[in-house]
Amino acid sequence: MLLKQIFASACAIMLLFLLGSCKKESFNSGATKEFILQSATNGASYQIKVGLPSNYNPVVEKYATIYVLDGDEIFDFVANKCQQISNDLGVKNVLVVGIGCGQDRSLDYTPTKINSISGCAPQFLHFIETQLIPKIEQDYKVDTARASRVILGHSYGGLFGGYAFSIHNKLFGNYILLSPSFWFDDLVALRQEKDNRNDNKTRKQLVFMGIGEAENAGRMQAPFEAFYQALQKNYFDIKLEKNRERNLDHLGSRNPNIEKGLHFYFQNR
Amino acid sequence: MKQHKLLFIIFSVLSFTNSFAQTEKQSIKVKHFAVKQLTIEPGIGIHSNFGTDLLITNLVQWNPKKHLAFASHSSYNINNLLQRNFNGIKTEHNYSVNQKFGVGTTFYSKRSSNTFLLMAGVKYTSFKESLVNPDDKNVSAGVNAFSPDYGLMYSLKKGVKKYFFSFRMYVPLYPWPVKATNISAVDGNINNIALEFGAGIKIK
Repeated sequence: MLLKQIFASACAIMLLFLLGSCKKESFNSGATKEFILQSATNGASYQIKVGLPSNYNPVVEKYATIYVLDGDEIFDFVANKCQQISNDLGVKNVLVVGIGCGQDRSLDYTPTKINSISGCAPQFLHFIETQLIPKIEQDYKVDTARASRVILGHSYGGLFGGYAFSIHNKLFGNYILLSPSFWFDDLVALRQEKDNRNDNKTRKQLVFMGIGEAENAGRMQAPFEAFYQALQKNYFDIKLEKNRERNLDHLGSRNPNIEKGLHFYFQNR
Repeated sequence: MKQHKLLFIIFSVLSFTNSFAQTEKQSIKVKHFAVKQLTIEPGIGIHSNFGTDLLITNLVQWNPKKHLAFASHSSYNINNLLQRNFNGIKTEHNYSVNQKFGVGTTFYSKRSSNTFLLMAGVKYTSFKESLVNPDDKNVSAGVNAFSPDYGLMYSLKKGVKKYFFSFRMYVPLYPWPVKATNISAVDGNINNIALEFGAGIKIK
């Protein structure tokens, strides 16, 4: 009887959550191009989505590019926000490139191997550098300067963004790092930043770091702050911003921080 | 002498049993025995986020009418109790205090009652993490913040005596909309559902 009552209540709660869950966002599909790109390194196939600005004009304009990790999930949201923010600010929009998951994201986004599903970030970054970026820059009218490339990632994606910042800083000039998992492998992201600091600190950077205030699992806040302080104290030519999204947790803070990160980028690029 | 002794025993037994006899007239209206007007229900609980938060809670429920319930729910949560040192990140402290008030309705069965409440109140969260960075400097980060706290509460009372078994489930609806319905996701409202168990005391 007791179990029956608890089960009935649980079902009612589940129904409530299903009714209350967010509807899926979609970007104007007429302006979206899709293709599959197979990695020469690991053989995985990545679904790539390219969101073009509404007034895309390849004859006279060159566009900056935002590379979005976890593209399966957040491409549409990012592309819509870019459209909206660039319209609001009256500035030129960007190409949004969503990179879907070709294999387990924890493989592709983590820089070191601590178990069987981690440690392939070097190969994934190589794929982006040698296959994806050249293809985008060949097929679309984009600005090929480092300063016109942005990488955006959340959670493990944010960790990967931090890895790209430290290890291969020549590739991207702009970083939107959201709730980055800098706790990974005994704070390897902090060590990599320090090890490569001398090579990177004089280069021009734009970094937005966002997190949720309610991320209190004992691993997110201190590494986030340590990374932010390292950039603030040691990098001479950096536009740096951090945001703690009030009362929101790891997933809840993602979209508000994407929006703020894009605002920061469009206003300061 | 024997006779006197026997009479004394019989008298004593009759007096003793008489002391338990009903002295008041039985009411014609049969009162439902599961109805409790005022209860205090201390309990302990967990959150559904992997069960690493320990909740020390109390519910005070007042039913001025059979199907009308008011409640006050207080909770002190020691968050992330089992993991205070992770990958070189030390949790100095991590707790939250919640106070909510609510209104709802109660349904009764033979030996239990089920109350559904809309709750609203405030939550204070405080936590601090620290680490030693690669430059050998100590870095700390923390949050001390008030936030709204509202949601739905289900309360089950099982038992008909003064002390009874109490179970409750609180589903936070702040922040709304729900960010993750996936139970395996790291967070979202569905992973912050509070499940609490305890002993209730019927005051009235």
